[in-house]
Amino acid sequence: MKSTRRGFLRGTVVGATALSTTSCSESLHTEKSTAPQGPPAGEDRVRVDTAVNGQDTTLEVGPDDSALHAVREQLDLTGCKHGCGHGACGACTMQLDGTPVATCLLPATSLHGRKVTTVEGIATGGTLASVQRAFMAEDGLQCGYCTPGFIVESEAFVRRWRAEHGAKEPDRETVAEALSGHLCRCAAYEGIYRAVQGACAGRFDHGPAKAERHDAREKVTGAAKYTVDVKLPGMLHARALHSPHGHAAIKSIDWTAALAIPGVRGIVDLMQGRTSIRHAGQEIVALAAVDETIAAQAVAAVKIEYDVKTPALSIPEARAEGAPAVYPRRKGRKSAPNASEGPLLPEAWDGNVRGPLKFLSKSKGKAVRKLDDARDSGTAVEGTWTTAAQCHTTLEPHAAVAHWPTEDSLVVHLSTQAVRACAEDLAERFGLRHDAVTVLSNYIGAGFGGKGKLESEAIIATELARVCGAPVRYVLERREELMIGGYRPGTQLDLAAAVDDDGELAVVAKSYSNSGVAVGHTVTPLWRMLYPGAPKRLEDIDVVTHTPPGKPFRGPGGPQAYWALEQAVDELAHARGEDPLAMRHRWDPNPARQPLYKWAEGIDAWRNRAKPGADKGRFRRGVGLAFGTWFVFCSPKTRVQVETGPDGIVVSTACQDIGNGTRTVLANAVAEQLGVAASDVTVKVGDSRFVPGPTSAGSRTVSSLVPACVVACDALKEELFDDAKDRLSLRGAVATTRGVEHEGGIVPWSKLAETSPPLSVVGRRPKDKGGYFLPPVGGVAFEKYTSASMQIVEIEVDTRLGKTRAVQTWGGFGVGKLVSPQLARSQAAGGILQAISYTLYEERRLAPGRGYLLTAGLEDYRLMGMGDVPQMHIHFHEEGYENIPQRSAGLGEIVTLAPPAAIGNAMFNAVGWRPKDLPLRPDHVLKGIRG
Amino acid sequence: MIVFPTTLEEAQASKGTIRAGGTELAERRRLPGLGGDLVDLRDTAGLDELRFAADGTLRIGAGHRIANVGSNAEIRAVYPGFAEAVGGLATPQIRAVATMAGNLLQRTRCWYFRAPETGDRCFKRGGNMCSARAGDHLYHACFDLGSCVSVHPSSIGMAMLAYDGLVDVAPGGLRSVSDLLGDGTNASADNALKPGELVTALVLPPPQAGEHSAYFRAISRARSEWPLVEVLVRLVVVDGVIRDAAIAMGGVAPVPLRASVSEAKLLGKAPDAAAFAAAAQAATVGSAPLPMTGYKLELVVGSVLEALERAAERDPVVLPAPVNKLPRTSQETR
Repeated sequence: MKSTRRGFLRGTVVGATALSTTSCSESLHTEKSTAPQGPPAGEDRVRVDTAVNGQDTTLEVGPDDSALHAVREQLDLTGCKHGCGHGACGACTMQLDGTPVATCLLPATSLHGRKVTTVEGIATGGTLASVQRAFMAEDGLQCGYCTPGFIVESEAFVRRWRAEHGAKEPDRETVAEALSGHLCRCAAYEGIYRAVQGACAGRFDHGPAKAERHDAREKVTGAAKYTVDVKLPGMLHARALHSPHGHAAIKSIDWTAALAIPGVRGIVDLMQGRTSIRHAGQEIVALAAVDETIAAQAVAAVKIEYDVKTPALSIPEARAEGAPAVYPRRKGRKSAPNASEGPLLPEAWDGNVRGPLKFLSKSKGKAVRKLDDARDSGTAVEGTWTTAAQCHTTLEPHAAVAHWPTEDSLVVHLSTQAVRACAEDLAERFGLRHDAVTVLSNYIGAGFGGKGKLESEAIIATELARVCGAPVRYVLERREELMIGGYRPGTQLDLAAAVDDDGELAVVAKSYSNSGVAVGHTVTPLWRMLYPGAPKRLEDIDVVTHTPPGKPFRGPGGPQAYWALEQAVDELAHARGEDPLAMRHRWDPNPARQPLYKWAEGIDAWRNRAKPGADKGRFRRGVGLAFGTWFVFCSPKTRVQVETGPDGIVVSTACQDIGNGTRTVLANAVAEQLGVAASDVTVKVGDSRFVPGPTSAGSRTVSSLVPACVVACDALKEELFDDAKDRLSLRGAVATTRGVEHEGGIVPWSKLAETSPPLSVVGRRPKDKGGYFLPPVGGVAFEKYTSASMQIVEIEVDTRLGKTRAVQTWGGFGVGKLVSPQLARSQAAGGILQAISYTLYEERRLAPGRGYLLTAGLEDYRLMGMGDVPQMHIHFHEEGYENIPQRSAGLGEIVTLAPPAAIGNAMFNAVGWRPKDLPLRPDHVLKGIRG
Repeated sequence: MIVFPTTLEEAQASKGTIRAGGTELAERRRLPGLGGDLVDLRDTAGLDELRFAADGTLRIGAGHRIANVGSNAEIRAVYPGFAEAVGGLATPQIRAVATMAGNLLQRTRCWYFRAPETGDRCFKRGGNMCSARAGDHLYHACFDLGSCVSVHPSSIGMAMLAYDGLVDVAPGGLRSVSDLLGDGTNASADNALKPGELVTALVLPPPQAGEHSAYFRAISRARSEWPLVEVLVRLVVVDGVIRDAAIAMGGVAPVPLRASVSEAKLLGKAPDAAAFAAAAQAATVGSAPLPMTGYKLELVVGSVLEALERAAERDPVVLPAPVNKLPRTSQETR
């Protein structure tokens, strides 16, 4: 193997295990091509005469180029997106002679003589189509990545519907059928229904485009630029070679042939002399070439000899006697990636088992004694529950475009939830000054926790950009995204619970987490937080396997924890003949949940639910309830800058909008404080150079940003007041909420902001009254509250075919003040639907004995679609949280914790069988109800 | 190398992989070793007819877009089960560009076949083993017909089997869809088409007077999912007695199957719950599930029952007067 030692990297890079340590410094093998760098050898090009958005145009395309690729690359129309590459998600949809088609599978040659309309062509002459206004008004979007596809499809549907039916509203089934080729991972389906039905009914034919979501217009027009849309002059395209084996040792790597391919510019060895392959999908080498096709060819030309070994893929396999060790040596264990968002605690290892972590237990001895007593009297409820790995599979995959403007400065466009933290980590790794690294993430095609840290895509793009001396783009393919993009760890949950004679709960439970090669996933905090007074013996155990590293996923550990605990509690209530809500109420001190009891009791479907198994028909309905509890976090170091000047009012922070609504809450907060319209506030996020903002994770965006923003606005008002007093010579001036009152009347803050000289203030997030529960760790503080949910789900089970569908849901949440009620509702609905999708459909499956991915596309990895959406009722209780400035507790995660357990309980209510294993595939359900 | 033949003859004479809509081929050609020259039928004339003959036989050009067939009012009136099967497959954006023959001739969606890691060991990719058999075959066959345990991906093939459909092949002329798709014992192929042979049209014999038909697909979500099991049922009921029955099943074997025992059990019976239940149970005769596909037998029984019930509830087909209609060409004439 020819290689030069070039490039210096702090930390280790071994596929996704790259990012676990930052302490050691090692160099990477890299090599720059010395092959002649003319244009690639001529494959045949086909001339295609087409008309795109009304403009005649000629494309030169390759025989296998997709229409999507040709339009995006040659015409720079990047609105329509590459989502899954299999025609399953619909993000790539364009109209061909007015009919929506999946362009990721459509040969570019077939555009010849046809009329193409992309999302950029939906608005005519600068006027938005009614369907675009409808999506904006009804908030039929979150991250916006799938939105162009939905808009293009919906515009055609609305046009057809209006032609056939006039301005009549179609029913949900009709809309579901029309949009059945689209997936929204944020699950903005509720708003999409309202938008499409409304546009059909003519409710958006006229009037200005209005939206609560601050960046909605950019998203419905295709103007929003995501990382995958970034194109820089001379940009190269990177691909990595991923291990096909779950467990192997590399004997040799020879990239001579790959580097000799014309158009290949450089290559980097990510193994750094190491030889262990610990999971399929592990990135071994990465290279950059002038286009994606050549990069793929070159990857195929890299020769690797493996010594293939048997992998341990599941918890039982990894715990078995004589199981192959994932980390045979102590040293390797230290490189195990962290599957959690917090620091790893030191724990003992035994083979593939790490732990147990027991410190979240409470009165362990008492818990065990009570369980023993209950077993003796036959009143204990116990079982083993399991959950499947749930892939984040954000529709925008992990993506980075890196370039080095100078030898010692770096700019990385990155699809990330953490612009600031990633910039700091890149500076550390590449030995650069912090202010020499810029991370940009203007629009992000969602994260859900899978893009919370610096990861290999950024490092690979950066390293190759340095080696090749040119900008490098690295974007994971869907198959790769599903494999190494992250997943919620699968678990095995052994749980026993009992209620004693005094009606008190006791729990003894163990959680085994399979986070692949990663460790640190925990379930016990969630078990501890709900019913905190009960004695509990709790253990968290990591079982490492030869599978990719798990990552934090929206409410890490929560859906699993409550899947087991809340079903056991339900079963206890049934066994005792006690009302499940009243029984829980006795154990529940959480002030945020207290007002929700009355709400739940008012729900007819819950109050009038039938006895378990009472329904004997083919389609059996059942109603179930479950609770969730989550942390309230903030980032105390958060800053928000507010400026006034020629650009009007500008608010900025090094945070990002991943579809959660960061821009909107900032705009709304400024608007409220200064008495201006939110739409007149310019929001700048997604740039690490701004004042420090939080990572968009841990439900802490609102609780961190809004208080800081209010402080900034107060400071700005002080400056404006001082300025106004002097400049305008106001007599008897007093600052009020509306503006500066003086003897001659009132000057509103907005007016002052317009007329004052440019001002700039920075607000810092004030501390909670009474301080935090724990001193901040890693920039995150636990506040002295927990948030609360109650979830009720009605399901229908087809006992003939084992199919379960959610019919109706009621979600009640105590999360404090809502800064944007419409977006809060969207986020809650999305979290509930994502959890239902997890419960009923989603499951990553790996090849037994091998470890590579079988559910490698969005056909086999099943996400909820439009037609699977139940009727939704969402209730917020906005009181409480008095010690948190501005009283917002965050809701991104609490909404997604309880639905699986509620569905489990609903299943028991419907058919008298209690499910233990997720997802509730038809074969599971059939087996369950047949006994 | 890519060519765009303008005539059938030219297309047959061209060397390479035939491409019509390209939606399945695009994905498959990304797999290692499955590239090569292309013969693109974009400009080839004579593949997009849609015509009822004087005797009621329906002829659908091979290049006809699936969406236009599923939504065609006359086809829906006369072949409701067929139209349902065609109109419910894949997604609207795929149906708008994918062709009828392309659906018939697509290759298996088995996740081992499609895996770049080991797909080349697969029988259907020139290898000599079936990784799914000993591996994860949750969505695979429950009628084990031999070496390969994938399920045939074509809903249109399944539907045509229920109608004793034919394909017109150039050269060679008409052959039955079961001849085209084979009996499932040849693990190395998804169809029996030889190099140089081209499907030019799909041909459906006229339905029988008074027949009822219905299609049903068992899936885990509401829509847009490969069938776990799919069934098309045709029933001819005269004077309250079933005179003829055809039941085809997909998602169960390497080829679509007819449930001939079920069909026989229905003959001479009243179309009632007892007859339907007995016929549905009999649909699993000859099945041999794999360790993970036993559940599919229950889905076979349930889906056959479902389709029978739906067919029986439906009004019988009213045949149009046998007139020789003018040839009709799709508006989409690319």
